[in-house]
Amino acid sequence: MSKHLKIALVDDDIPNTEVLRDFLIRNGYNHVDKFHDGESFLESLDRFDERAVVLDFDLSGGGDLNGLEVLEAIKERSPQTHVIFFSGQDSLEVAVESLKNGADDYIVKSNAAFALVKTSLDKVYDLQVLRTNEKRNQRISWALALGWMITLVGVALYVAN
Amino acid sequence: MEIIDRLSAGDPEKKKYYLRLFLDTLEPELGRLKSCDVNADQEPIRSILHKLKSQVQTIGAAEAHTLMASQEQTIKGGGAIDQAGLDKTCELLSELIQNLQDQL
Repeated sequence: MSKHLKIALVDDDIPNTEVLRDFLIRNGYNHVDKFHDGESFLESLDRFDERAVVLDFDLSGGGDLNGLEVLEAIKERSPQTHVIFFSGQDSLEVAVESLKNGADDYIVKSNAAFALVKTSLDKVYDLQVLRTNEKRNQRISWALALGWMITLVGVALYVAN
Repeated sequence: MEIIDRLSAGDPEKKKYYLRLFLDTLEPELGRLKSCDVNADQEPIRSILHKLKSQVQTIGAAEAHTLMASQEQTIKGGGAIDQAGLDKTCELLSELIQNLQDQL
């Protein structure tokens, strides 16, 4: 099943990013972009309107910004974007700091890491589906209420005449 | 290597593509690691170890990953690794590169 969730992978680790991207595509996510530094991702943020970002902490091989700085910029400019930290740093300090600054999850790169990223993205996707359904149900409720009002006004006018 | 095997799903060209991707990083980084001086600031060593450890893990080189992760932690904690430790890492990486090249 194809899952419509725009995902950005931001990691200076080129081969692993490529493998993760293919893994996610294989698992139904058909819109996955790659960025190898925080700067180029932030430049594209407004244009692509990514819904979920898988973000590495140590981006020193790509640019000057680290993952926490990129997270801060994302939350400032696009607070609705979900951010999953995906880091080789098994550091409680970085984990706490990222979650405090609005990251949805913190995953340490390990053997099971790709599957964990997918599970985390599945949650974001489910949430997005739930929100879309809620909005649709709200619109249906309003349309029904409006329909009833028009009918009642019609009946009232008919009775009055 | 399991993830690469799964993703390439029996397609030898796809598998070679992934192996080349890893080799493109591993080979130059091994060269950089070999030229590092353990008696100088070890931050460049830590940075290379950090970069490569996730890759060797994806390829399934458990021994190299464990050693590199432990060396990175040592340097991060303010300690230092010795020449023998660096040589061991380079040796494991060389074997890994050879193994990947053999599969091309």
